[in-house]
Amino acid sequence: MRQVFVILTIWFVTIFFNGLAFSENILENTPEDINVGLDDLDLDFKIEEIEKKPYSINVDIETKETLRIFNRDALLFKQKYLDNKKEDTAWQTDLDLTIEGQYQKDSIKLYGRFNGLFYYNDDEKWESEKKAEEAYISFQPSFLWAFDAGKKVHKWGKGYAFSPSAFFARPKDLDNPDATLEGYYSLSADYIKSMKGFIKTIAITPVLMPVNRDINQELGPEDELIWGGKFYFFTFDTDIDFMFLISDNLNNRFGIDFSKNLSPSFEIHGDAALIDGYQQYIIDELGNISGSEYTAFNFLLGLRYLSTLETTYILEYYRNGQGYSNLEYENYLTFIERGYNQYLNTSSKTAILKSKTYAAYYNQQAAMRDYLYLKISQKDPFGILYFVPAITFIYNLNDQSASITPQITYSPLTNLTLDLKTRLLFGAGKTEYGEKINMAKIVLSLKYYF
Amino acid sequence: MKKIFLITWLCLFSAMTAFALDGNEILKQVDRNLNPESFEMYRKLINIEPDGTKKEFVMFSLKKGKDKIASVFLSPASEKGRSTLRIADNMWLYIPNVGKPIRITSLQSVTGGVFNNSDIMRVDYSAEYNCEKIETTDIGYTLYLKAKLKNVAYETVTMFIDSAQLLPNKIECYAASGMLIKNLYFKKIKNFGNDIIRPSIIETDSPLYKGYKSYIVFANVKKKELADEIFSLNYMSKIDGLR
Repeated sequence: MRQVFVILTIWFVTIFFNGLAFSENILENTPEDINVGLDDLDLDFKIEEIEKKPYSINVDIETKETLRIFNRDALLFKQKYLDNKKEDTAWQTDLDLTIEGQYQKDSIKLYGRFNGLFYYNDDEKWESEKKAEEAYISFQPSFLWAFDAGKKVHKWGKGYAFSPSAFFARPKDLDNPDATLEGYYSLSADYIKSMKGFIKTIAITPVLMPVNRDINQELGPEDELIWGGKFYFFTFDTDIDFMFLISDNLNNRFGIDFSKNLSPSFEIHGDAALIDGYQQYIIDELGNISGSEYTAFNFLLGLRYLSTLETTYILEYYRNGQGYSNLEYENYLTFIERGYNQYLNTSSKTAILKSKTYAAYYNQQAAMRDYLYLKISQKDPFGILYFVPAITFIYNLNDQSASITPQITYSPLTNLTLDLKTRLLFGAGKTEYGEKINMAKIVLSLKYYF
Repeated sequence: MKKIFLITWLCLFSAMTAFALDGNEILKQVDRNLNPESFEMYRKLINIEPDGTKKEFVMFSLKKGKDKIASVFLSPASEKGRSTLRIADNMWLYIPNVGKPIRITSLQSVTGGVFNNSDIMRVDYSAEYNCEKIETTDIGYTLYLKAKLKNVAYETVTMFIDSAQLLPNKIECYAASGMLIKNLYFKKIKNFGNDIIRPSIIETDSPLYKGYKSYIVFANVKKKELADEIFSLNYMSKIDGLR
């Protein structure tokens, strides 16, 4: 708890001195001090910005320092480390390089985004990962049609933090919903038609996704062709999508979403999905496994509001029909507790290893049923351009545990972004956020684009 | 004598009637003089901070009809590939990393600084505003415009027009409370070819951002026939391909 207070103190001091420094800056600079006029500006465009080249390459490099403060009493900490971890904290240094390139010739486009990550931490020392996040060829014979083949991200759904209807995408990271995702190999098309009348635009997006031992193997053990599609309508100033996925190995899925501005500064959105024949595995406090099959119904309702003070509020309620009830989740944690006690008393790891088998279901983000997500961000406070403080709350309505993430993002120079984020977890014993491995996580990152 | 008086009275009356009706017509003419109905253009946005620090953005934009505009950022590298779409009062932002369009509002700013989305995704003034009052001045007209919808970026706008070219010199933008939000100054009239003669620079200042200034510089404004399908969510990631 003391560490949480230390972190909060650092935050208050940072924000206070930032505000003070910039307030002084504004006081010192009156409009008369600006000596930049029309004659001093470069009002001509650089020719390379206007003349399009057939190719383009963009690179961004990010260095990130992460401090994790462990909750040594948490059951998920005990499940992962037993009593092998002596430190209270862990540091990690990341060096993340992303290269994005494209080549376009007439109606053919080649596109690729490749990521290389080098990181150092106490457990693994220097490690590296590399992957092609996207790599596809696109053929666009007319304004109406486009065809894509290769590894591509299909981000469907209107939710900001949650995406129940993103059937052909990997799940979002709740800590960073805007983060780039890795795509799947697919064949897809886009047909767009604008019309007169009450439906202004329709768009149809069919998707074919093969699964075999060479591509998309993480989607299932057997070879198959997953297929599906999305139908988009723009009508009465509202975006509406219907989507589906048909598969032999995965569950068939059907979804709908919408988004509409009730006023220019107030938007509402919703997202819903049915997962046919969803198989849920439940572990009780003694480690007995039971399974149940049902049609899961996931949905979210959200709003985005911009106040006159330029504060943006994003609020979402998410119902996870595939999630666990309060009792089911508590039973899982009780089983870990028993397993840990068994290990302490007998050195037997049998029960704790059994609990780890189901960690993929229970330890994932938003594993329970009902969540509230609220993000409040303020543009340019204290008159500081490109400075955005924000705070994010994720509240588990089932067990009243929560995560609170204050964050500041600042772009003092063109192509340079600084980001400081602290995630603090709160919750009683045997609650989702109360039993996570970390009680806090601080991430400082510096990103440069060129 | 009676006939002369009657004719004079009728002339005056018809002139006054025409004048009363002309505010919206003048506004439509100003819109057409600022840009053709369907065109493409490049714009450089320059934000200048009180200490002289500058940040620049270059955008390629396409506009069709009175109320459709789509744009893509070409630089700086951190913004490259971001695209915006506006259809009437609906606005979307597509960020390549995020991978899907999200709805945004006219009050927000995709670039930060004094310009907001309404300035950057400017559709015809006559599509957004009605002229409530017109005054003649030494150099032309002053139009007092009121937004057709509530809660837009600027509830009322005062437009100062040079009658010789029917182009604005200055626009004052007000909130619903009557507070002045910003001034737009139209400068350096330039011939872009094909009868497109318009100010090539818009300068902005704002009492809300004391010490800050912003400029939009226009280049390569060209008439272009555009398909309606370009102005759709599915096309937002492909706008750069139209250059």
